Amino acid sequence: MDDLLVVKDLTKNFGGLAAVSEVSFEVRRGEILGLIGPNGAGKTTLFNLISGLLASDRGTIKLEGEELAKKPPYKRSAMGVGRTFQVVRPFDMTVLENVMVPIFAHYKTSKEAKEKAFEILEMVRLDKLADKMPSNLTLAQRKRIEVARALATKPKLLLLDEVLAGLNPSEVAENLPLIRQVRDSGVTILFIEHLMDAMMAISERVLVMDQGALIACGTPDEVTSDQCVITAYLGEEAPEC
Amino acid sequence: MRTNKLIIATAILMLGLLVVPVFFTSTFILHMFTLVFFYIALTAAWNIPAFGGKFSLGHAAFFGLGGYTAAILYVKCGISPYIGMFAGTFVAMLGGVILSFPLVRLKGPFFTLASIAFAEVLRMVAVDWRSLTNGSVGINIPFKPGWLNLTFTSGMPFYYIAMGLAIAVILLSWWIRSSSLGYHLRAAAADEDAAKALGINTAKSHFLGLMWSSGLTGLIGVLYVFYNYVLEPGSGFSMDRFSLQPAMNGIIGGMGTIWGPVIGAIIMTPLGEFLRFYLGTIQQGLNFVVYGLMLIAVVNFVPGGIVSLMEPWFKKKKSGDSSAADN
Repeated sequence: MDDLLVVKDLTKNFGGLAAVSEVSFEVRRGEILGLIGPNGAGKTTLFNLISGLLASDRGTIKLEGEELAKKPPYKRSAMGVGRTFQVVRPFDMTVLENVMVPIFAHYKTSKEAKEKAFEILEMVRLDKLADKMPSNLTLAQRKRIEVARALATKPKLLLLDEVLAGLNPSEVAENLPLIRQVRDSGVTILFIEHLMDAMMAISERVLVMDQGALIACGTPDEVTSDQCVITAYLGEEAPEC
Repeated sequence: MRTNKLIIATAILMLGLLVVPVFFTSTFILHMFTLVFFYIALTAAWNIPAFGGKFSLGHAAFFGLGGYTAAILYVKCGISPYIGMFAGTFVAMLGGVILSFPLVRLKGPFFTLASIAFAEVLRMVAVDWRSLTNGSVGINIPFKPGWLNLTFTSGMPFYYIAMGLAIAVILLSWWIRSSSLGYHLRAAAADEDAAKALGINTAKSHFLGLMWSSGLTGLIGVLYVFYNYVLEPGSGFSMDRFSLQPAMNGIIGGMGTIWGPVIGAIIMTPLGEFLRFYLGTIQQGLNFVVYGLMLIAVVNFVPGGIVSLMEPWFKKKKSGDSSAADN
């Protein structure tokens, strides 16, 4: 399997705090890679660095061999990095229009954009709600708008930031298969999640971050039995990491 | 059915507006209508950056740049006002290029402050650059009536010019709002980071929005100067008439929408003139007290502007339509 994204020695400091320090990993094409870690571990900061909303201090981010680190966010999006946000804030327009916004980059006319947006809404099963305002939708549905919007940029790599957080079990069961379905459509996924069951169920590999550093990487089973990971989560005295 | 009714209503309204000068020959009423048209155009042009959430209090800069450019070209160089229109629009857009530096770098109130400073600096330049602008004395457009000089003996031609201008700017802003630029601006207004992550060059969108807005405002400035004959720094770059007033019309009508600026200008322009005439003569500045109270009331009780009060009415129609379609 070849690597879609290769991150090397990525570092970001906020003042004296190392939010992300010397993080290196690769995302293989076509996989679902999970990213876990306690609060404040630097997961979302890492997403911001990859998507370009934050400039990194050091390190390289390569997508298919091309360096991203110096590029503005909109260029990275055009190159194939899509993302969702932890706090869903849909634009103040209908569901369909929300998905049309990024599509305008690829299609110039409203009509084409509308057709394409509708296809994506069908995929995330929001097509019946296309004309509604997002404020009238449930959280689970609004999270699906986020995913639809990100998909509309035709990403190669999709960064999902807690798309399941705050949902009740039946909503999780409804949204979870969507992640797999997106992957099966040819999009590589890197996702942050706090719901361990869901994470373990669908990810092939898992990265674990703590205090800005990457402390483990492996299959879900390997990671959950890793002593450093247990320490990071439970705060036990570890023999050695 | 409904669209038919709407078309008929619009047609009647347009016909009514077309014949106003025939029935009302009073210069005051014609002047009032003309002023309302100018303010509709001005507010709709001001509103374009507001699609992207950018709140300018410096549009007098573009208005004055346009007006001064055309007036100087006409009075000092004898160049036709029709060429002056292009020149004024162009110079106002150059002003827009300068203001775009803070536009794409500063957020929220900081851009607004920069825009105020920009307009005030230009006003000071107009006062001090006497060889070009005649300083505080100002420039008078000589009274040589005729279409070639854009100067008229009656108020009627400018009534139609201003009306055409208002309609053109409304249509343009509607077109911009429903184009990709409009969607990108509205996305940036709602969540700049999300818009960027979705592949939108938000800086470019804000810049293009300001280009449209500044150019249109400059053009309006050119026409207004020829309507008004007199141009001096205090009126051309007037903070309260051309920076605050459009912004206020926008807030009261509904900023970032198509009809908000129209409604705001229709309500506030006659009210402003009325208040200035009646209250301003009792105690100078008393009219602004009423303005201030109105602004506070609207922002507090109807944050979306008057247009948002009409929204439930539109929604009702829409949901009625869709439920009919479901059956």
